[in-house]
Amino acid sequence: MTEANQVILPAAETPKSPPTDERLRNDTWWYGPVAIIAFLVFWEVAVRSGNVPEIFLPRPSIVVVTLYDLFAYKHLLDDLGLTLFRIFSGFLLAAVVGVGLGLFMGTSRRFNAIADTFVAALYPVPKIALLPLLVIWFGTGNAFMIALSALGGLFPVLINTVVGVRQCDEGLILAARDLGASAAQVQRKIVLPAAVPTIFGGLRLALGISIIMVVAGEMQTARYGLGAKLEQAGQVLETGQVFAILLLLAIVGVILTKAQDRLGNFVDRWRAK
Amino acid sequence: MSSLGTRFEAISIEGLSHRFLSRNKPPTTALADVSVRFPSGKVTSIVGPSGCGKSTLLLIMRGLVKATDGQVRFLYGNGSGDVTVGDAPRMATVWQAFNLLPWRTVMDNVAFGLELSGMPTAERRAKAADAIRAVELSGFENHYPGQLSGGMKQRVGLARGLVMSPDVLFLDEPFGALDAQTRLYLQEQLSTLVESSGKTVVLVTHSIEEAIFLGDHVIVMTARPGRVAATLDVPLPRPRTLDMQKEPAFGDLFTEIYGLLREEVRKSMLN
Repeated sequence: MTEANQVILPAAETPKSPPTDERLRNDTWWYGPVAIIAFLVFWEVAVRSGNVPEIFLPRPSIVVVTLYDLFAYKHLLDDLGLTLFRIFSGFLLAAVVGVGLGLFMGTSRRFNAIADTFVAALYPVPKIALLPLLVIWFGTGNAFMIALSALGGLFPVLINTVVGVRQCDEGLILAARDLGASAAQVQRKIVLPAAVPTIFGGLRLALGISIIMVVAGEMQTARYGLGAKLEQAGQVLETGQVFAILLLLAIVGVILTKAQDRLGNFVDRWRAK
Repeated sequence: MSSLGTRFEAISIEGLSHRFLSRNKPPTTALADVSVRFPSGKVTSIVGPSGCGKSTLLLIMRGLVKATDGQVRFLYGNGSGDVTVGDAPRMATVWQAFNLLPWRTVMDNVAFGLELSGMPTAERRAKAADAIRAVELSGFENHYPGQLSGGMKQRVGLARGLVMSPDVLFLDEPFGALDAQTRLYLQEQLSTLVESSGKTVVLVTHSIEEAIFLGDHVIVMTARPGRVAATLDVPLPRPRTLDMQKEPAFGDLFTEIYGLLREEVRKSMLN
């Protein structure tokens, strides 16, 4: 066989060569998609043969057609855009404020002493419990949704940033000072980059929470947006539409997660593989 | 910086003491009344039992830790015997734990100090490339530290210090984290490098052989609180070669240093 002809280079001489070794090849990439397809086929067949009423559990094929119809005739794209806008505006706000405050808390003992108690008090409050208050302050428009999204995302970013800054290797700071780094340079070129992987972990959590918060908020108060459409469909027992919107949310989730994985690999590219 | 007509002569430590404060323990005295001189152009080794404050002494000389008492002076002479106290010369440190920035490539690690001083990219890269060549790491410029062996990492650490063209090079247990063969090889490399450059070197180590092999002088320290037990000259010619370890002078000095350290090591283990 051809395997006998393969030349496997000793690892020591080629530390950075691309993985050519058979054992390093990713041969499980198709497991996930195939499992999903199998699951959908089972669902389709089970519902058809079991005569389950559509109002309880529509077939996957009907869900897909409904989703298409919603995009084609009910302007679902506008709702999707609106929801994404709310999620990402709030998420961005949480990221900027969270990283900024976190850097400050992680490096200033005085500021940390002040802010720590506030964080400890606010962090465990279920952010969704702030909904009535936020409605009183911001109404039910975009400002309210963005505030909800930002509040949900703020703490994971903030807390991870503080942790990331604190766990910075003291030796790296000494080495930088030895080479003549100023206090500001130590922050910018050592502490912040050392915290990036941890901060990135916080951002991942934050985006997930922002999505939950915005959809939940829309279900409560909004007329437009995916959460609002989901709630409205449920109230008139349009189970097909409910599933279609859930499917769309799942697709959005998969896309965002995969994008984060890619970005995460880039951020962590220096880690030895 | 030395002004015109004056030359860096020595680092002089005078009556240096250092205490570490601790929240729930009485303060520890790391160094007690240390007075010693590190002449320029020479390699001075510091040996002592672990915890004797030799690394702390290095951090204090380097200006990274402020001593509780005493002074570090940088002496300059004009050739006629007059000595004046001046500003610190250019200094760089090589660390036992390497302390390379893991998210930067070899090139960007070596160029880091020059980058901090605001040198333009092309210029600092050219200088860094020279330093990388000097430690025999050409071809690894774009590797990350995580992809290198311990010996290679420490050569990056050495290049990162050398690229700053320091007058004084501090080596804090530079080969302590390496295996025996790598250690020997790097000791030889370092010895050659030091002999050709004429730099002032302060080497902190717990290896007596290393202290003798690389040093012109050996300072022996006591267990905590660290004091100077003795300052000894190394009666071996340069360039140093590995087979000098078989010479009687080497063995005699080793025995003398170990004799001084033996009791201190025992004490440090009881601490």
